[in-house]
Amino acid sequence: MKKQLSFALAGVMAVGMLAGCGGGTGSSGSTSESSDGTVNLTFTWWGNQTRNERTQAALDLYSEQNPGVTFDPQFAEWNDYWDKLATAAAGHSLPDIVQMDYSYLEQYVSNGLLVDLTPYIEDGTINVDNVDEGILNSGKVGDGIYALCNGVNVPALLYNKTLLDEAGITIKDNMTMGEFIAVCKEVYEKTGYKTNIAYIDYFCRAYDEIIYESDSIGASQETLEAFYSLYEDGINEGWLLDPSVFAEVTVGSVEQDPMVYGSSPETMSWCFLAHSNQLTAAKSAAPEGMEIGMTTWPSADPAKSDFLKPSQFFAITVDSENPDEAAKVLDFITNSVECNNILLGERGVPISSEVSNAISENMSEDDRNIITFINEVVTPNSSTISPPAPTAASEAYNLNRNLVEKVCYGELTAAEAAQQMYEEGNEIMAG
Amino acid sequence: MKNNKAKSFLEKESVAGVVCTLPFTLGILLFILVPMGISLYYSLCDYNILSPPEFIGIDNYLEMFTDETFFKAIGVTFFYALISVPLRLVFALIVAMLLLNTTKATGFYRAAYYLPSIIGGSVAVSILWKRMFAVDGVINQLLGVIGIETDFAWLGNEKTAIWTLILLAVWQFGSSMLIFLSALKQIPTTLYEAARVDGAGKVRQFFKITLPLLTPTVFFNLVMQMIQGFLAFTQCYIITQGKPMDSTLFYTVYMYQQSFEFKHTGYGAAMAWVMLVIVGLITLILFATKRFWVYEDGV
Repeated sequence: MKKQLSFALAGVMAVGMLAGCGGGTGSSGSTSESSDGTVNLTFTWWGNQTRNERTQAALDLYSEQNPGVTFDPQFAEWNDYWDKLATAAAGHSLPDIVQMDYSYLEQYVSNGLLVDLTPYIEDGTINVDNVDEGILNSGKVGDGIYALCNGVNVPALLYNKTLLDEAGITIKDNMTMGEFIAVCKEVYEKTGYKTNIAYIDYFCRAYDEIIYESDSIGASQETLEAFYSLYEDGINEGWLLDPSVFAEVTVGSVEQDPMVYGSSPETMSWCFLAHSNQLTAAKSAAPEGMEIGMTTWPSADPAKSDFLKPSQFFAITVDSENPDEAAKVLDFITNSVECNNILLGERGVPISSEVSNAISENMSEDDRNIITFINEVVTPNSSTISPPAPTAASEAYNLNRNLVEKVCYGELTAAEAAQQMYEEGNEIMAG
Repeated sequence: MKNNKAKSFLEKESVAGVVCTLPFTLGILLFILVPMGISLYYSLCDYNILSPPEFIGIDNYLEMFTDETFFKAIGVTFFYALISVPLRLVFALIVAMLLLNTTKATGFYRAAYYLPSIIGGSVAVSILWKRMFAVDGVINQLLGVIGIETDFAWLGNEKTAIWTLILLAVWQFGSSMLIFLSALKQIPTTLYEAARVDGAGKVRQFFKITLPLLTPTVFFNLVMQMIQGFLAFTQCYIITQGKPMDSTLFYTVYMYQQSFEFKHTGYGAAMAWVMLVIVGLITLILFATKRFWVYEDGV
């Protein structure tokens, strides 16, 4: 009797485990369509608290209007998002709809992970009648459109306006690097607040150089040295934020950016090199009473450096079992006024002109200011965006981050860092 | 009749044994051996995780010899393991000795000291730790209370960042402590009585009786904790991410970066195998030294 019991128990356990395995593959991320015809779509994005809430509400609306379609929404911080997506790609369990960035688009398409949206656009499932051709083509790789832009965006320097007003400092648009550094020094002298700089690709564009070419570093060693000198001088002269600040925060999180997060001027920055669609999140993360202003990023030649950017995309992955339904969701996000009345251009200005006109009255003043900023400040004074970076660039980004850190800690001089970036970077990019 | 036959087949000792161990066997096969095989194959491939792997032989292993960050990570990991493990064991032993005396509150204290080990590897504690050692964190504030005003960046300084991780590791002494505690209880009190009669003091008793009789337990703890130390991941990944300047870059975190961030998944897999060899060698070395210091005659 005892033996029979133990056998039965073992049997139950074994069956349970096998069933567990079976269930595991089913719920591994992509679509599952159960017998009663309901569809569940996994939808992922990176972002911030404002975006999480709005996206969730928009997906709820879709489920309401389309009974039988439910979502499994998943969000992560920028860094974790890409690790997670890469692992999912290896396990062939990519979510149905993924938020995609311009810098990663090329690698996901060249590895055959995204669905070509052209057929859906041709048969009208995704309506692009009111979308500018140039914006639509920003999601084009080779002959196919693999990702649908969900908003237009520009680099934007956000700054602590309250602080600068008190110090009597005014900021003008299209600052040159020299003017910017003068402001940094003035702010530091008057208030003690420091500065958080700078983006290498933006910096190099001023010299007609593209930092990450398809198989090499496109910047000259002189330009790189000038870039690292910014850090060297900033640390020596005291106005640059100490690198130790970044050891304590989640880098890339708007909520923990030194402009809004920190306890003393020593650990805070008066500005934040952000993008225009981060204004809303930065404002809601800012402490009570901090007014935030917006201008262009500094550059030796702003007209060459600045660009209009597809803020991000939505794409359908090859692991989706229900690309047709997913395409309908993309259409909904692109063309539904109701949906965009919830999203309110948080990701960027909606690409359908009809939608962006329809929701403009519901947009906050900030969002309307962003549109004005994009149209009147950046558009007339900018150049075409650089081509998407190749796969090897992610290691080169990391090399640059480490070199910047070493320069800030005084381990390397700007010239040494430039040489390393040039030599090792070229090795990395060559593969 | 047929039914009976099936029944007698199932009642055989060997069949019951196989069936009973099936869940475990399947677990090992599916979740350990198969993934290990796959990883071995990847380690011989050029694999960027996004597209299918391509066989390239041992290139990944050769590449390590020219990878400076790889050696840096090895150095950091050895430093971390070789310092945090002995410290943790010493600490565990001290606390175990203190908790040996039974009073009403002993049970509570044992549980309380064990708690960090249960929650220690978790993300929540790591985040807590990161906040504690921040410039405006509780550590600097406590220092302020005792009169040392400071805004020292523990995590941002190349010299101190690794020590915050070591401290976290030492704090998680609970599981070693429990093992020490049970071993301490096994030492016959008659030995101590005899020693006392012979005039040996407490310190002498500890070094002449307690420690020698504990050496098998020390050995066991040392091996287990050493392996764990080399494989530590969460603390580093959450608290420092290798910063500043790779001074806290654990081997496993570098492996993770290579595999998932830089998309050198084949290289990452090769690193995993090298780690296996390193941990294996260390364990072997520990076993080789065993006969010199571990007292195994029993009591």
